[in-house]
Order: sequence, then C-alpha cells, then structure tokens
Amino acid sequence: MTSPVEDVEVVAARRPQPRRGVSLRDAGPPIALVVIFLVFSALSSDFRTIGNVQNIMDTAAVLAVVTCGITFVLMMGSIDLSAPGIMGASAIAVALLVANNRNDNDLGLIGILVAVLLAAALGCLSGLALVLLKVPSFMTTLGVSAVGLGVATLMFAGVQPNISDAMLKGWAVERFLGFAYLTWIAVGCVLLGYLVQRYSRLGRYAFAIGGAEEVLALSGVKVAPYKVAVFTLAGAFYGLAGVMVTSQLSAGLVQAGKGYDFAAITAAVVGGTLLTGGRGGILHSAVGVLLITALTNGLVQVGVSPYWQGGVQGLIVVAAVAAAVVPQRRRNQVTK
Amino acid sequence: MSTPVLATPAADPAVVSGGPTVGQRLTSFMPLIALVALLAALTIADPDFLTQRSLTAAVRTSAPLVVLAAGATLVVLCGGIDLSIAALCSLSTVFFAMWLPDLGGLTALAVVVAAGAIGAVQGLAHVLLRIPSFIVTLGGLSIFSSVALVISDAGPIRVVDRDATKWLTLYVGGVVPMAFFVAVLVVAAIALVLRLTPVQSWITATGFSESAARLAGTPVDRVKVAAFTVSGACAGLAAVMLVSRNFSGSPTMADNLLLPAVAAIVVGGTAITGGHGSIWRSLVGALVITLLRVGLPIVGVPSAWEQILYGAIIVAAVALTLDRSKVLIIK
Amino acid sequence: MIDAELEPTVTPLSAEVPALEVRGLVKHYPGVKALDGVDLVVRQNEVLGLAGENGAGKSTLLKALVGLVRPDAGEIWVRGKKVRLKSVVDAADHGIGMVFQEQSLVPNLTAAENIVLGSEGPGVRRGMYRWKTMRNLAQQQLDKIGSDIDPLARTDTLTFAERQMVEIAKVLRIEQRTQFAPVIILDEPTSVLESKEIETLFTQVRRLREFASVVFVSHRLDEVLDVCDRVTVLRGGESVGEVAAAGAVPGDLHRMMIGSTGSDDHYHGNASQRSGEPLRPMLEVRGLSGKTFRDVDLDVHAGEIVGIVGVHGSGREDVCRALFGAEPTTAGEVSLDGTVLELSGTRAACAAGIGYVPAERKIEGMVGPMSVADNMTLTKQKSRCNGPLIAPKKQATLVDGWIERLSIRTPHRGTAIQRLSGGNQQKVVLARWLVAGDIRLLLLDHPTRGLDIGARSEVYRLMRELANSGVATVLLADSLEEAIGMSDRILVMSDGRATKEVACPAGGKPTPLDLVKEMV
Repeated sequence: MTSPVEDVEVVAARRPQPRRGVSLRDAGPPIALVVIFLVFSALSSDFRTIGNVQNIMDTAAVLAVVTCGITFVLMMGSIDLSAPGIMGASAIAVALLVANNRNDNDLGLIGILVAVLLAAALGCLSGLALVLLKVPSFMTTLGVSAVGLGVATLMFAGVQPNISDAMLKGWAVERFLGFAYLTWIAVGCVLLGYLVQRYSRLGRYAFAIGGAEEVLALSGVKVAPYKVAVFTLAGAFYGLAGVMVTSQLSAGLVQAGKGYDFAAITAAVVGGTLLTGGRGGILHSAVGVLLITALTNGLVQVGVSPYWQGGVQGLIVVAAVAAAVVPQRRRNQVTK
Repeated sequence: MSTPVLATPAADPAVVSGGPTVGQRLTSFMPLIALVALLAALTIADPDFLTQRSLTAAVRTSAPLVVLAAGATLVVLCGGIDLSIAALCSLSTVFFAMWLPDLGGLTALAVVVAAGAIGAVQGLAHVLLRIPSFIVTLGGLSIFSSVALVISDAGPIRVVDRDATKWLTLYVGGVVPMAFFVAVLVVAAIALVLRLTPVQSWITATGFSESAARLAGTPVDRVKVAAFTVSGACAGLAAVMLVSRNFSGSPTMADNLLLPAVAAIVVGGTAITGGHGSIWRSLVGALVITLLRVGLPIVGVPSAWEQILYGAIIVAAVALTLDRSKVLIIK
Repeated sequence: MIDAELEPTVTPLSAEVPALEVRGLVKHYPGVKALDGVDLVVRQNEVLGLAGENGAGKSTLLKALVGLVRPDAGEIWVRGKKVRLKSVVDAADHGIGMVFQEQSLVPNLTAAENIVLGSEGPGVRRGMYRWKTMRNLAQQQLDKIGSDIDPLARTDTLTFAERQMVEIAKVLRIEQRTQFAPVIILDEPTSVLESKEIETLFTQVRRLREFASVVFVSHRLDEVLDVCDRVTVLRGGESVGEVAAAGAVPGDLHRMMIGSTGSDDHYHGNASQRSGEPLRPMLEVRGLSGKTFRDVDLDVHAGEIVGIVGVHGSGREDVCRALFGAEPTTAGEVSLDGTVLELSGTRAACAAGIGYVPAERKIEGMVGPMSVADNMTLTKQKSRCNGPLIAPKKQATLVDGWIERLSIRTPHRGTAIQRLSGGNQQKVVLARWLVAGDIRLLLLDHPTRGLDIGARSEVYRLMRELANSGVATVLLADSLEEAIGMSDRILVMSDGRATKEVACPAGGKPTPLDLVKEMV
C-alpha cells in the first residue's frame, strides 16, 4: 500500500533520510491477502480456478463501492451505519424509475442518477444532523438508516418492482475482459475514490479532520461543510451500490443493503483504516474488501456454512480494532 | 486521624448558580408529557382506544421492549452503547426453542443466564481490549446473528411444549398481563439496587467522566462489565417473552427491536453521552414507542412511516438530551 | 500569482508606529480576574519578551491577541489602527500569528499541507490539489527560515524541533494575507527542545526580526534575556514593568514577576503549630522511572508537606499520577509506611490510604451532576454503608458533619456539586479522602487552581491541619510562592529528573530565585 504522499513526483530529497517508506502496518493487509489466497488454494481445488477468482471479484463489487463511501467517513473519525437504509431506498427508487413491472417509467441512466442523488441527499441528512444538532454520527446514521428503510418501504408499497431495463440488467451479466460490468464499475469507484482522497481538498481535509480537527479550526478552516460533503459523498456511493444490487437481483428490495454497513466497516478496518480516523485510505480499504471476500469465499469452498459469514466478520473486526489499539493502550485510558 | 476543624467560617460567599432552568425541568418531564399527549391523541382519534382491552393489549406488546431498553439503559448510563441486544435476543429465542425439550421448566432461567454470560463476555472485551463499546457490540450483533442462523439452520423452530411459557400469558388481577408485570418488576428491581447501593454513584461517575471515576478509585471496569451482563440477561428475558407470544424461536425474531429499544432509551431522556438518565425513564420511553407503534395504524398512517419516525425520533431525542459541555468535538 | 508569492511586498510604515499595541486589556473568568488592565507595546522589527509566573495572565493575553479570547474591556491596536479580533483568521488578516505551545499541526498530513493549511491559494484549483505548486509554496516558506525540511515528509515523522520549524513557516504564511510585516507570537517554544535545537531556534528568531516583530514567551528567563530586545513583565493580570534586555540579569525579571512576597499569615505558617521532633518516614520513593521521568527519589515524612517544583515538561505531574497508580512506571520502588506498594492502579492506591486531588477539578476531580454527598463518599463507600446498602442516616450524619467541619457552603448535601463555587467544590473533593479517616498520603496537583484568594487561604489552612494530624502531603503548587509558603521541603525537577532538594523550614525559606536557578 502507498502512503498518501509517496508516489508524488518529488525533486531529489536533500536529506539523507527520506522518511516516507512503506511501513509494516501498510504492508500487513496485502500480505494477509496473499496468504489467504495461498492457503485456500492449497486447501481447495475449486478455489484456485480462474472462474472462482472472477467470482470473488464479482462478489466483491458491491461491497467495494460501499466501502469506498464509508472509508471517507472513517477517515474523519466518524462512523456510518446508514448504508442499509440508503441502499434500500436507492435500490427501490431505481427499480421504480427504470423500465419495470410497476409503472411506465423508463428513464434508464437518468433513473440511476436520480436514485444516486436521493441517496446522496440522505447522506447529506446524516451530515447535517451531525454538524447542526451536534448528535454523534453513529446515532445520526442509525436514524438516517431507519429513515431510508422507511422511505424504501413506502415506495415498495407491498409489491416487488421487477426491472426489465436491459442496460441495468446487463450490468450484472455482461462481461468485459472476464469480469462483469459491475466489477468494472467498482474498479472505477475505487479509482475515483483514490483520486478524491489524494488530489481533492475534500479528501485531504477529511483525512486531516481525522488527524487533528481542532488544528483545522485554528488554521481558519471551517470543517462543518467538509463533514457534510463527506457524508453526502458516502451516501452517493451507497446509492450506487444499491443500484448495483438491484441490477444483480433484477428487482428492487427493501433489504438490498442488509449487513453491508458492518461488512464495509470490517473491510475498511481490516485494510488498515483506524476507527479513530486519520489513517488508511481507499486503496487500503480495497485490499480489505478483497481480503474479506476471498476469506468468505474460501470458507464456503472448504465447506463452512455461509451463515458463518457475519460471525467471521464480527470476530475479525473486534480483533483488528483491538490490535490497532494495543500500541496506544494506557492504564487509565478512557474508552466509550 | 484527628479531625481538622476550621476555626473561622468561610469568607467565601455561597456562589450557587446554574440550577435547572424552567426549560430543563420541562424537558425532564417531556417523556411523561409525550406519553399523556399520545394517549389523549389516540383517544380522540379512536374513542375505543381508551378501553381496558386495548390498553391491556398495548402494555402486553410493550413488555419485551421494556425489558430490552431497561437493560441497555445501564450501558448507556455508563457512557457506552449496546447495539447487540436485539441480535442477542433473537439468538436467545433460538436457545429457548432448542433447549426446551431437555431442560423443561428450567429453560427460561438457563436462557437468561446464558444471555447474561454472553453480555459479560462483551463487557470484558470492551474493558480489557479497550475497544469502543459500539464496535464490540456491533461485532457481537454480527456474531450472534450468524450463530443463530447456523444453529437454527436459518429457520424458525416451533415450540410444542407451551406449558413452559404459559405463566407469562397469565394476567395479574385479571387485567395486568404477566409479561408486563414481570417487565415492571425487572425495572423496579434494577432501580432499587441502584438506589439502595453505591452502584448508582459508580455508574453516574463512570458515565459522566470516566477519568474522574477512575481517579476516585471507583471500580469502573467491574461496573461496566456488570452493566453489559445485565443488558445481556435482559435480552434473554425479552427472548422468553417473545417465545411465549410466538410459540417459536427464530434467528431474526427480535432483530427489528433494536431501533425501538434505542429510541425508547433516548426518548426517555437518558443522555447518550452517559451519566444522566434513569431506568424509569426508559420504561416511559418504551411505552411511548409502543403507543406510537400501535397508534399509527389507528390514525391511518401506513406502518412504513414507523421506521422514518424512529429515525427522526432518535436523532431529535439525542439532540435534546446530549450533554454538550462534555463533547467539544462531535465525531 | 506564484511570482507575487515569491516576493511578498512589505508596505513601509513610519518606524515610530508600533506593530502591535495593547491598552488596558481586561478579561474576567468566573471568580478570577485573568487580565486586569494589561498594556503592551510591540515595536516594528523587535523581539519582545513576555515574562510572568503561572497565572500572571500570559496565556489569556496571548489568546486575546490571536482572537481566541474576547476581552471584556480594553483595546488592541495593529499598526496604528484599532482592531477587534474575533477569530484566529481575523488575527491572521491583521498579521498576527501564533506558534502554539501544544503544537498545532495535523500529524497525518505532509509538512507542505500544514504550512499552507487554510490559505492554500494557488495550491488548490477548483477543489483539487496541485501538489507541485503546493510543494513550491511550502518550500518558499521553509526557505525564508532557512530550513531544509522535506516539504513532502509526513509531519508525524519529523522531530519535535523540525515540527516547530514547520509551525514557524506556517505562521509566516500570514504575510500573504496582509502584505506587511507580521507579528509572530512564540508561546514557550523552548520547553521541550534540546540545547542544540534551542540554538537553531534562536538563530531563526533573530532572522525573523529582519522582516517581522516577535513576541517571545518563555519560563526560562536567561533565554528571554538572551534572545529578546525588551521584556515586559506581567503579574496578577497587570503589566508591572518593562526591562531592556541588554545588561539585565534574570534576577531583575524575577523580582518583578514575584513582587512583594505574600505574608506568612496567608499560608498559616508551619513550624509554630508543629511539635518539631522528626516524624517517621511515610512515603519512600526510590529510582522511580516512567515515560516522562527518570530515577526519581523522594521521601515524605508523616506530617510533612513536600512541594515539587519544575517548569512545564519537568515531569512532576506524571510522578504524582504514577504514585497514585494512574500513570505506568517502568522501574523503581515505592513504599508507604514501610510497606512496598504495587502501583497496580488507582483502586489499590485508594485502599492503601493514598488520596489524589487532580488539577482538572471539573473534569477529573468531581462528578458535576452528582450531589455533594455522593461526591464526598464516592471513594470510601463503606463510610456511608451498612453492608452492601447505603444507610441514609449514617450518610447524612457523616456528610453534614464534614460540611460543617470544612465550612462547605452548600444549600444541602443533596445539591449537585456543580452548583457550588470553586472553593467549596474543592473542599468536597478533599473531603472525599478524609471521610474514612484512613488517609496517609495526600497528592495535591494544583489544589488552588482557579480559586480566589479567600478560598485559597481556606485550602491552605485545611492542608496545614491535615499535615498536623500526621498526613504526608505532596504538593504541586500553582506558583513558586505557594510552594515555598506551604512546603517543609521542596524537590526541584527538571527534564524528568529530581535535580535538587531544598529545605524550606519556617524562618529559613529560600527565595523563588533560588529555586528558579535550579529549575532551568
């Protein structure tokens, strides 16, 4: 993994010790990913097929997009539990806006855009509640998740919308260079996320807010708009993920985003993002996503019940957070 | 030690300031006001609502929610949060259904003890590994759901022997449902322990300022683990109540109780920042939430609005009760 | 645009007009007058020193100068114009910038980003970073102070001294806003630096004088005289004098900082009330080491008050917390009344009869919304309980008794402690350790911080009475005066080591100057 500044073009450093190396912390998750691949390849002949690798990548697509969003929030040191609600709302919205069995809409790409905008608006709501009402993010996003699910249920109205839009359906089945379009969309999101994180003021400030929020204020930066923007951006990513789920299922479901909040937090944390903020990034999280997906896939391949998936994630996240806290542990430290 | 006696009285005037304002007093009665207002509104919307029958039905539905919220309130008072209660409750319904054939009458006790032990493990993970409580319990949520799915094979398990839970379906004095009576009993018991022992000050100190509590030699870690244990045990008891109503255990049975439980706590006026609130408040909060739940269809609002309402209520109630002096930077 | 940044234009200004002037600045906090009519003049291209004891009002004054504190009265003039500073940005627009004592850099950003933070200018276009421009902008700033730090190094990989250079480079960015010579405030810049790094810093400060005015604040008076042109001395929220640095010695400054020593009566004397014969040793510390302190030896006898003095960063607070088990130790032995202590945590310390009064009363000392009674009995629960249950009558008798004995002014024992005045709150916190009557060692970390004179005097009296009853006391005093007035002996700490022990008997008290010599 790269530290954020490392690959910038630099004039020859005049100092003998350029302290910009790759640390063990950054190298850990990719090594773990390779180890997991090797172990499961040895254990299961089904795991090491090209088809299964394609399968892992395709499975990882939705999670990757959700994780892109949540990573920005975690970088600020906040938390986001709103993915299930926002994804549900956008999944139903897009199913009702493109060609479907419930109404005569056939908006195609515009429908997708509207669904993503709806999701961004919901994300914006979390951010506004955070900065205006000063409610901690885990509470605002829990609330917004409920609101999103409610909106989805209202639109669902008891009849499942099945989509007939060829393009959206095609995303999940048509392939380019061996991977589904959805996978390429996810790759695009990761790249976009990386660019935002690396080159945009929004991304760098999100990183800085996680590092030392009070310093930003002392330097005359108004952090509130950036916080709202980050939650909005995250909402947009969840919205796109909801659209992708609808594409996979060919139908809009209220439960489209169930469990994605926790899976994404797990992926980000495993990738090396600290819950206290200020460390990690999109590429870290992408590795985390592959790690989680490969692990889940491998466990199923060697015969473990798929129901254990959540349990494994739960154990991993607790272990990863505990490991990250160990170096900073102090006797009288306050933990909430 | 001899007793030091100050000879001269204090020259310092008793600068007593910052007592509760009228607004604050009003806010602290808000849950009760909301409860009465809701009752009135529902009676106006449907005059049949204020009958013994529908009220009995309402408090009967509220029992599991009251118990869940009561337990989790202790964790919130300590300054943490328990997001695993609903998942643990679901897992406990599966335990109950699976153990009933072997344990018979002892099943309820066994489930409560097992859930309490699981809660204690979460508490230990929180204090020993120094992981924030919401991440421990979020992990717990995920683990419990998955264990419940695996051991139940992802489906409901029917409870054939209905005698074991029959006592919960009885009525005290012919009107008060036993489940609700037990729920109030639990609240009263916890409240009594808090009031009569030093535990109340330990919890308040821990929740208000953990460092102050530690520097005063308060058993902070033990208090926290105990709070998580009680929270777990309450989830187990709520599970028994759910099984007595549904005659089955299911790995997702209580999952949709998490939001109402959190909403009940914050609507009651317990501050999410810890240190301020009480268990009685959560009882009132749970009743408010239950009335909303049964009341929405009466006034003709589609039940989908229930979720949206929970979301709005949680954010609004937290915003009202938050202790802003304590948190300078809101994450 | 970039070219314009390369050569900041400095508008000429008549040399007599001060770069910054403060007239009659007043700031009240509840119960305390932090600033009581401060006057200050910073001339163009000079380094002005600011000296004063803790609580003299230095930090409040500095905060007012950068818009973090709004004064209740008084005026601030910048380059001949009266200004009102509402925020740090406001101050920066008027050319005033400050290097904060606790560094104000974002650790996980690059040095370059920190330098331009909040005023990126051409470094950001349409919300996107232009890293090359950013690096160049930062490089210009670093060049100004002749630093060779790599602008793209992550800030948390730099040494403390390097980070300070980054801060200075960052503060100098305000030139871009103002187009005239800035005023740079350095708050205790040397407190954590090695001597070699201090030399580098001083070279920088002298360099800054070429194109800016500097306000230099330090505890180390010799340094102040070394680097400054002029020194203004604050005492009790007032400016009490001004000294030209050339030819002055630290003693001159210190005399002004202290003023006339307080009467002995204020501290309720010591020997007069004491039996005189040596008492048994209560606390024995041998070779105690931790993160911020090394090899500390300390003896406190029963009935004795031992003060520990030292500048910011001397490690004395951490020693105090370590003795209470609230800070980890790496080596050393501590025994209390002959028994070796484990230092395993605060609960063990409480059980052993050690009490601790933290400096941050409102956050660490008391539980605000809890009643006086609950706060007083928080540690020694047994004192109000019968078995596991609270005995209301026992509690009432106990708490009311202590309220009366310590003259705590409270409407009722059930009143929330946060409604009491500071002095009464502190008495409740102290009473917490006394209710069980088993206290043997009391660790007091700034017990009179934020209290007015009357309340201070009462806390002193209480300390004296406790000492007379045989309690050993370790005192981290708010001022040197207080340490000298209250202590029987004083341990001087510097850079984490106990450097000197000074006897402090009644009638043979050392002067603050004697202590300062050892502290720096």
